[in-house]
Amino acid sequence: MAENSGTDPTVDSNVVENAASDRTMIVVTVKTPKDKEEITISEDSSVAQFKEEISKRFNAKQDQLVLIFAGKILKDGDTLNQHSIKDGLTVHLVIKTAPKATVCVTSQSSASSSGTPQANSSVNPSSAPNDSTTPDTGPTPASTQPPNLLSGFGDLSNLSGMGMGSANFMEMQQQMQRQLMSNPEMLSQIMDNPLVQNMMSNPDLMRQMIVTNPQMQQLMERNPEISHMLNNPELMRQTMELARNPAMMQEMMRNQDRALSNLESIPGGYNALRRMYTDIQEPMFSAAREQFGNNPFSALGGNLDSGVQPSRTENREPLPNPWGPPGTTPLESRGTGASTTTTTSAGGTAPSASNPLGINASGLGNGVFGSPGMQSLMQQISENPQLMQNMLSAPYMRSMMQSLAQNPDLASQAMLNNPLFAGNPQLQEQLRHQMPVFLQQMQNPESLSVMTNPRAMQALMQIQQGLQTLQTEAPGLMPSLAPGGIPVIPPTTGSSVAPENLPPPTQGSNPTATTNPSQQQQQLMQQMLQMFAGGGGGSLTQTVTPEVRFQQQLDQLSAMGFINREANLQALIATGGDINAAIERLLGSQPS
Amino acid sequence: LAISVKVPRNFRLLEELEEGQKGVGDGTVSWGLEDDEDMTLTRWRGMIIGPPRTIYENRMYSLKVECGPRYPEAPPFVRFVTKINLNGVHNSNGVVDTRAVSALAKWQNSYSIRVVLQELRRLMMCKENMKLPQPPEGQIYTN
Repeated sequence: MAENSGTDPTVDSNVVENAASDRTMIVVTVKTPKDKEEITISEDSSVAQFKEEISKRFNAKQDQLVLIFAGKILKDGDTLNQHSIKDGLTVHLVIKTAPKATVCVTSQSSASSSGTPQANSSVNPSSAPNDSTTPDTGPTPASTQPPNLLSGFGDLSNLSGMGMGSANFMEMQQQMQRQLMSNPEMLSQIMDNPLVQNMMSNPDLMRQMIVTNPQMQQLMERNPEISHMLNNPELMRQTMELARNPAMMQEMMRNQDRALSNLESIPGGYNALRRMYTDIQEPMFSAAREQFGNNPFSALGGNLDSGVQPSRTENREPLPNPWGPPGTTPLESRGTGASTTTTTSAGGTAPSASNPLGINASGLGNGVFGSPGMQSLMQQISENPQLMQNMLSAPYMRSMMQSLAQNPDLASQAMLNNPLFAGNPQLQEQLRHQMPVFLQQMQNPESLSVMTNPRAMQALMQIQQGLQTLQTEAPGLMPSLAPGGIPVIPPTTGSSVAPENLPPPTQGSNPTATTNPSQQQQQLMQQMLQMFAGGGGGSLTQTVTPEVRFQQQLDQLSAMGFINREANLQALIATGGDINAAIERLLGSQPS
Repeated sequence: LAISVKVPRNFRLLEELEEGQKGVGDGTVSWGLEDDEDMTLTRWRGMIIGPPRTIYENRMYSLKVECGPRYPEAPPFVRFVTKINLNGVHNSNGVVDTRAVSALAKWQNSYSIRVVLQELRRLMMCKENMKLPQPPEGQIYTN
């Protein structure tokens, strides 16, 4: 092997630092399991110098590099000569990273076929045409720029979101996700939220959530690897651990990036990627997006050994908890189905009813529920009951409710974090007591159906409005205004954003908070609580079914000759158990 | 009728030496002479990079491989230098049990040091091994 004076064309592009003219340069191939670079270096160099070159080329710190040649680790103090490293030979490189992000190293050092599934892989194909390093594509001015999972999601959503029902909600979700991912603190906050953690630490729950989604089921049929993945508790556990550690996830994503970019460079690789994308990612993605509460990372990290294909599919899983602080400023509108037009700038709320969230770049509200974005969500919900329905019908909502119900402490904690209650410890106390009751109600299909009934919603809102007017007009009157038929639904948020001063106070189906807790609202809250406790006049504030409650009255009524049990019940409900009033109602409604 | 040619030992080993230096393979194992002056080409060093998603991940395992006079008709002796907890490797001295590694147990003269190293690496990925608790990184066998 004649010594090469470095005239190899590839050498020209190399940066040759120690190009002492009278030293002989040699070209050494440095190989990671995924990567290969040719480095020109003086044959007299030390390993340390060699590493310097390598660190530049591979974009890694010198102390992260471990070089192996002929079965031996090259120590910094050694020289290349010592190890007989000559021109044309190959040195193996392992790039070490921080312990927790071990996946990083291995993904680099492992064969590319292991294809560490990273959410990024979802990103890359879409951004493949542009740039393989996950650009924050498009006009997302406000969102931060790091290799951003969500930007990919954003792109993909365009493609895969077609024809999805509840398009608006999807957008909202995805926007939330985007915001979520672009802001790592947000992510960790969410992770820290006990609600989320509780959900995530329950692998069965996660699994259920995933499995119950019909689209997922479809996908699972097509790709049995996915169900295999889901059935592997070890994997789920791993994934969830991963989910808890955002830093790890970032590492993984970054690696996925690299993996993908390498993959693309393989001839035909790009096509394979595209194919993969259309076959798998799309449905997966749309399936995934249905599921918020889903373990976002169940695909990441998990199932790494099943090869590139299946692993990629899993990446489509969306990011965490939808009730996480919603995204920042609007970001481009996603044309998923119906309306788009996103809107607003920070602080504004989306103008159009059908458009989700004028997402506000809020700081994270306490806990999961507080933020202007959420408020605007609420407002939109009030304007568009359909949205509410969509939200509620999502299976994950149910699961979330369930887990909330099962774990009242958690729920109360979540509520308490709510800024609305922050200023009023009394309220908090009350709330805590009411929690179980409240949760039960949430689960009560009746209440759900009311919430989805637009007219009911409107009525509720009117009442709310009236109440508010009353409050201003006659503040003293409020406390005494007991269960005056103020409707159920979980504590309302009052007007969404004071500055906006929107007429219909928004009502949320979940404890949400405004960022302007006011005395008024707190009082209102108290009202609500009292009503909850009292099982008030509203047709829904019932902790037990009306039938049971009014059993006695029903009996009486039927003894009196009112045999229409159904009507009796209705009347009783309407009058809150007052038999006489109920009788009058019944008589009044009976055809004469 | 294919007649297999018996390649002389040194030729074989030189070839393996060259392969080791050129980085043949997927880059997850490496091997070379322990001492470049070793004219008998007997003592070799190997390196296995712990496979990802196993407990061995991110670690590099150093091995000693001894190719006896009857190599490649006879399998080499392999022992770990870096401490490892792996089925088939003696806990006390890192010696690899020939019976536990199929490449060694069913050795063929077409096998090589690389094959052995790669198989050991594959063993690390087996269910029964991939989660075995490991000694702290960097420890070596002293006997």
